[in-house]
Amino acid sequence: MIQSKSRKVFGYFVLLFFLLLIILPFYWMVVTSFKPNTEISVYPPTLLPTQWTFQHYTEAFTHFHFQVYIINSVIVSIVSTFLVLFFSSMAGFAVASLPIRNKTAIMIVLLVISMFPPIAIISPLYMLLRSLGWLNSYQALIVPYVAFNLPFAIWIMRNYFLQVPKALFEAAKVDGATVFQTFYRIYLPITTPGLFTASVFTFVAAWTEFFMALVFNSSDAMRTIPVGIALFSGQYDVPYGTIFAGSVVSVIPIFILVIIFRKWIVSGLTAGAVKG
Amino acid sequence: MSSFVKKGMVLGAAVMTLGSLVAGCGAATNNTQQAADNKNANNTAATGNGPVDFSKASGSIVWAAPPITNNGLRKTLVDTFNKEHPNIKVTLQNQNTNTDTNRASLTTAIGGGATTPDVYMGDVVWPAQFAHSQLAMPLDKVLPADFWNRFANGLVDGAKYQGKVYAAPFFADTAFLFYRKDLLDKAGLPVPTSWEQVQKDAQTLQNKGLVKFGYVWQGASYEGLTCDFTEILADAGGKVLDSSGKPALDSPEAKKALSFMRGLITSKVSPAAEDTFKEPESMNVFNNGDAAFLRNWSYAWTSSQNPKDSKVVGKVGVTVLPTFGGGAGYSSVGGWDLFVNPHTKNVPATLAFIDWMTGKEAQTIMAKQFSEIPTNKDVQNDPNVKKVSPIFNIVSQTKFVSRPSQNPNYAQISQALYTNVNQALSGGISVDDALKKAQQAIQSSASSGGL
Amino acid sequence: MNERKMEKRAGYSLMLPALLVIGLVTIFPILYSVWMSLNDIRLTTNGFLMKFIGFSNYNVIFSSPVYWHSVWFTVYYAIVTVVAELVIGMMIALAINGIEKLKDVSLVVMLIPWSLITVISAQMWAYIYNGVYGVLNYILQVLHVIGAPVTWLGTSTSAVIAMMVADIWKTTPFVVIILLGGLQMLSKEYFEAAYMDGANRWQTFWSVTFPLLRSSIALAGLFRILQAFGIFDLPFVLTGGGPGTTTQSLAILGEQALFQNLHFGVGSAIAVSTVALVLISCLIFLSAFRSLVEGESA
Repeated sequence: MIQSKSRKVFGYFVLLFFLLLIILPFYWMVVTSFKPNTEISVYPPTLLPTQWTFQHYTEAFTHFHFQVYIINSVIVSIVSTFLVLFFSSMAGFAVASLPIRNKTAIMIVLLVISMFPPIAIISPLYMLLRSLGWLNSYQALIVPYVAFNLPFAIWIMRNYFLQVPKALFEAAKVDGATVFQTFYRIYLPITTPGLFTASVFTFVAAWTEFFMALVFNSSDAMRTIPVGIALFSGQYDVPYGTIFAGSVVSVIPIFILVIIFRKWIVSGLTAGAVKG
Repeated sequence: MSSFVKKGMVLGAAVMTLGSLVAGCGAATNNTQQAADNKNANNTAATGNGPVDFSKASGSIVWAAPPITNNGLRKTLVDTFNKEHPNIKVTLQNQNTNTDTNRASLTTAIGGGATTPDVYMGDVVWPAQFAHSQLAMPLDKVLPADFWNRFANGLVDGAKYQGKVYAAPFFADTAFLFYRKDLLDKAGLPVPTSWEQVQKDAQTLQNKGLVKFGYVWQGASYEGLTCDFTEILADAGGKVLDSSGKPALDSPEAKKALSFMRGLITSKVSPAAEDTFKEPESMNVFNNGDAAFLRNWSYAWTSSQNPKDSKVVGKVGVTVLPTFGGGAGYSSVGGWDLFVNPHTKNVPATLAFIDWMTGKEAQTIMAKQFSEIPTNKDVQNDPNVKKVSPIFNIVSQTKFVSRPSQNPNYAQISQALYTNVNQALSGGISVDDALKKAQQAIQSSASSGGL
Repeated sequence: MNERKMEKRAGYSLMLPALLVIGLVTIFPILYSVWMSLNDIRLTTNGFLMKFIGFSNYNVIFSSPVYWHSVWFTVYYAIVTVVAELVIGMMIALAINGIEKLKDVSLVVMLIPWSLITVISAQMWAYIYNGVYGVLNYILQVLHVIGAPVTWLGTSTSAVIAMMVADIWKTTPFVVIILLGGLQMLSKEYFEAAYMDGANRWQTFWSVTFPLLRSSIALAGLFRILQAFGIFDLPFVLTGGGPGTTTQSLAILGEQALFQNLHFGVGSAIAVSTVALVLISCLIFLSAFRSLVEGESA
């Protein structure tokens, strides 16, 4: 008992230390977003604004169309995430649990694809999207985001499915379940942590992607947050205050996401995973 | 491992087959694209080889431009144009301010065959490269010959490549020396006219504890450093490329220029962080009252006089950049041009827009309301305009030096220059080594366009 | 046998949608890019004008010291950051897994850096590292670690370290999440058994946790390495590849060739060579972690 208690205290200590390191730069960004321009570059820096201002926040929404960017980002990221979850859970299950040929080769090709620097294929992809008439649309981003995030999601899901004991599969078969029923009723529920992981990864990747969003959706009405915030700068000035204000706002959906998924994480933890 | 590799190869072959199928589709789309382009070319041909009549132009066009200073300049111009031309509707497409990002998105779109933006704002160093890659339409045939007379001397030459004009100068940018009047007065110093004096005065002011840093400029690893270096190099009597297009950085002039720049940092006249400064960083330091002298573009005047951003309102003076030994020094030719997308479907409306944007009305709005230097000769010389900013009065005293942007590989030449100069500024390599490396790198990029 | 056939068919039909999406969107651009690397390319109003020149573009890059510098930088940068992220990530994941309260809060906090847009978080770090007004210099001066302000992004060594710190800050959560996922799949009984045997913390980790987490660690390491090889946004904003070319990664070099210099052939060759390089290191990596690919059931 004593040992496990000291273990816990140690755990909290380690965690606290790292969380502090994680939070400090972010704290600095939040604080700066509330400082007037003249206070943003002073030395020594003020650890709290001497004069709080919301001007950067109001500027982001009034001067720039930040609300439009947020809506676009939310739509693109959520749709991409759902599609990736849908496709990757099926494919991951197939690769992990079903007797198909060339699994290794498939996994290697997926690996190669996820490795290709997006910058190198942006020109051909642009031409492809243009010939489909998809430029400046949600699908112009959703489809590439799904395609580029699928390989990783498949890897994650496959890893989770692999850890489900084979016996479960056999038991379901004995009960007369079809392959699809086994997948939906047995495998998916116990691998919810995997779904959570894959969805967080996809969402964040879609939420933060810059280069494709910049090039494929150039009209102001279709821009996403990363591209939108980058436009806050003038030719010769970097308005840190406004950029950071936009950035702070852009983190909020992630908070919401984690709060929604919280139940899943916790259930994944308490279930102690799979009972062999 | 061997079965592993074998399986991979089998699948690889399968992928290649699939790929060639898809590539087949790709080729098909290329054909339709080509057909569309031919139609386009016919369109242009139909309008004849002579100037296009744009007096009855109509329709919608898109103008792509990065925010200039986020003070509403672009919007004011577009709104005014739309009001005066009820048959034409110009829509503004916001571009990224990072020049490299801006260029990347334009090349992808136009290179990929996009018909919009119809007209875009581009850096004065782009014409050769964009012309070479056919990302810009030659304008000298479609616009009447007398159109070009409206521009101040030398500006149109900068937009030429192999004898054709590829862009219309939109606004000019010139660098100046900004100084703190109040500090010079306090120390009883005159406004410096030589680099040596700038350095000495800065030290005097620093030693008296009047200011933290003496002189701030742009030393980060980016295009701006090419501008700063080219100016000092010209002051020292040197050039980046000689008249035959060969690099000339193995000269004593180049050594003098770079040694001087490095010396500013080692003598603490410029901050140690100088080699990370772009325009915003140097402007910040100056606006905070932490520097006595600043090299910056014309916008710095407005910026330093804006109480929202600046603590030195009313304490700033501006003069032409100095040179070694005294007198007026060189400024790089900066500024922005208007280019036309070769795939545009509405040449007349585009030309009408360019005609208006470089005409008296728009140029006067730009100069008077936003204090950008007009490219239109008449507006430049208008006494009413000259009253607006002290910059308009001294711009004619400045000597200009162009970056070697006539070479289609200019982007690479500039990279070779600024990366090595920056390395020397950081103290990473010696001045001699930096120049030697820059010389070699420019040699290979100017000719072959290798890495 | 019939049953197996059915399962096989089900397997293919489950995989097909994913493979179709990936194939249609990525395979053509990738093959096109490989093809581009074998051509001399000029951009014209009719699109790319290609002239097949074999491996000349590769000759150009392989004979360039700038290219090899980028290779070297990218490789050591990737190795250092990924190893650091795995170690720190493991510590955080174990800590979060071991506590009962504040799990949610810790997770939310941890996700902040990762969910920040890279081009923006790079601005944030540039602001923190600023050589004149940077808060980092202020803190270190107050703590008497340094005497005078340091130009973090202005000298070679400190710029590399500064960039690594920013990167580790940003991407460690990625590793934590994967490892945490792996830890969640482990049964508590393993650990309890280990305590019963009287194993201390260190022994438990090496004998129980680490082997069971092997595939999660490999997954995290593998994909982090892949991402690290393609690092672009961070140096693009933070250092612009400087001072000089110190922090010029392969992706930065490729982007310059492709989009700034408009040398599409050379740029594509850089990209393809990067992938080949990564592929080779992946195969080495995978042969060490065979289970990751082969799967226990295969």
